[in-house]
Amino acid sequence: MSTVINVGMADYKTARTPDILMTAGLGSCIGICIHDPVVKVGGLAHIMLPTANGNPSGNLYKYADTAIKMMLNEILSLGASKMRLKAKMAGGSQMFSFPGKPPILKIGDRNAEAVEQELKRIGIPLMIADVGGSFGRTIHFDVSTGELKIRTIHHGEKVI
Amino acid sequence: MDVNQIQLDALKEIGNIGSGHAATALSILLQRRIGMSVPEVWAVSFEQVAGIIGQLDAPQAVVYVKVEGDAPGKAVFFFPIPSAEIMVQALFQTEESLDLFSDEMAQSALKEVGNIMVSSFLIALTQFSGIPLQPSVPALAVDMAGAILDAILIEEGTLDDHVLFIDTQITGIPQIEGQFIFLPDEGSLEKLLGALGV
Repeated sequence: MSTVINVGMADYKTARTPDILMTAGLGSCIGICIHDPVVKVGGLAHIMLPTANGNPSGNLYKYADTAIKMMLNEILSLGASKMRLKAKMAGGSQMFSFPGKPPILKIGDRNAEAVEQELKRIGIPLMIADVGGSFGRTIHFDVSTGELKIRTIHHGEKVI
Repeated sequence: MDVNQIQLDALKEIGNIGSGHAATALSILLQRRIGMSVPEVWAVSFEQVAGIIGQLDAPQAVVYVKVEGDAPGKAVFFFPIPSAEIMVQALFQTEESLDLFSDEMAQSALKEVGNIMVSSFLIALTQFSGIPLQPSVPALAVDMAGAILDAILIEEGTLDDHVLFIDTQITGIPQIEGQFIFLPDEGSLEKLLGALGV
């Protein structure tokens, strides 16, 4: 029997096979999924902002860079090999558009970029991403297979 | 900032007067009785904010209005889809079912509902505090409540570990439910409390 483990906003959880990690209602936030397909362990982080800017204080799970680092350590402590780790991500949409607002402020895009950069920096390949758009996503990550199921209200359901 | 009990009570009173005006405006607009709860003032970590709006991937119609002026903030209305539909039907004086995800007329009607309610809220707040406040153009999203809330919380790319907001439940007869939250931006709280002398 697999258990579904719920990951809240600005939090991360790790799991072993056959458990499923899920997070509900990702808007501009991003769900980062990392797993080892051999040992079948993995983690899911629900990050809200790109970077702690080298000024770590308060809840570090909310930033892409610090959350990935902490989750990585925990996944490795479950027996994963860093060489085998693979990543996927979903989220980073823009739920509202205000006329005349410069695109530099799109926080969803900035989050996705930050995740990509941090994964690259630590050498974990990003296999696939489902980011952007203007709709929310609920995701289920199967740490055994690495399958990421993405559910939306009006933009269908898919597995990546 | 730390908020003491007297300040919490003052904020509750702001919420009470403001939300009362907003509910009255909605009542006049829809020609229905609209009630509201005594507002709650929450000072919680942002992880807990999510719990206050209920199920995170439940579809809701959400009107978001930025509050501009000397004590800026964010005003947000959450309406379950059936309630939003009932409100639009009441405005259009029709019984026909509407698709809030795609019907632009219905969407613009909902924005107008939000605009009128927030304007009423702000007029009351300005009268009470003496601080001039204006609503921005309303924005609407019809989607997962949690997804919309996170986008509002982190829109500026920053987020405190604690969020303070005023939370009011709205109930209309028949079958309208909604939730109104007001989030003062950083620094606005001091100004509002200062204007009230607490």
